Amino acid sequence: MSDDLEARIQAAVQDPQNLGEMSGADAVGTVGSENCGDMLRMWVKFKEDNGRKVIDKATFQAFGCQTAIAVASVATELIRGKTPAEALALSGDDLASPLGALPPMKIHCAQLVEGALRNALTGEKTSQPELAPTLLDRLSPPKNLKIKLQP
Amino acid sequence: MTSIADMTMAELLEAYPSAQRALFRHYHIGGCASCGFRPDETLADVCNRNGGLDPEEVLENVRSAWEQDERMMIAPREAKELLESDGVEILDIRTREEYDAVHLEGARLLDQELMQDMLATRPKDDLLVILDHKGSRSLDAAAYFAGHGFTNIKCLRGGIDAWSTQVDPTLSRYTLE
Repeated sequence: MSDDLEARIQAAVQDPQNLGEMSGADAVGTVGSENCGDMLRMWVKFKEDNGRKVIDKATFQAFGCQTAIAVASVATELIRGKTPAEALALSGDDLASPLGALPPMKIHCAQLVEGALRNALTGEKTSQPELAPTLLDRLSPPKNLKIKLQP
Repeated sequence: MTSIADMTMAELLEAYPSAQRALFRHYHIGGCASCGFRPDETLADVCNRNGGLDPEEVLENVRSAWEQDERMMIAPREAKELLESDGVEILDIRTREEYDAVHLEGARLLDQELMQDMLATRPKDDLLVILDHKGSRSLDAAAYFAGHGFTNIKCLRGGIDAWSTQVDPTLSRYTLE
């Protein structure tokens, strides 16, 4: 990854735009699994603009990859003022474009953001490949076990 | 005979249990859904779609992963000395319930918010000491931080349970049922 791209991603991660849950959102979209802490969720609020329904604001929560956070940050700015159809026409590359071209190993991060946006705007679930357990899956502590202190 | 490049990722992980940590530490592969791989993909497939990595070189890093893991481990008594110095961040990756039951002084429970905050804002050369219950999962957390550029990470060998037996017997031991 180029130093410039790395610097832009770090800058976006350190000062993410539109981060956090939005109360009163008109639509919510999710990709990934909250249970394993590997999830990206997007909230969208619309407004009327000269008779058109456009995106007034979009916010996100993301756990996992830093690049996905950076892409979500710039993408939520990019789609502001666009109609749902215009936003849906944007590819993952388009959504990540303010950061610059992503290397092949990072393209999936932009596709996650695209998937969350698509899910919010259409309800359509992006099919996720059946992945092997990731490191985030593996480091999640086992749940629902009872603690028994030893005397 | 199956060539190295034609091994599926499931076969690779079975042959080399430390492989996933090595892949993330070196190439940022397999950490989360953004960079995950399918178990039926071949090593060649994964190398190819990650910028044309050389499968032989990747396998070499996978083969030496165990040694890399070992270098991160720190014995409880050695850790005690380390923790007495300033600027050490103790990260506890157990559940909230386990943490509430028993924890090391100064240790912080690693939740999603703390993790994101650390990845975004902490200097990458800060010393992190990671602990779990019995030392079985801390290496995965260490690899996750290493894959995000952190360079100074230690894992408490045997976890907080070993700390109880080797450093501070007043700290209650527990089992999970």
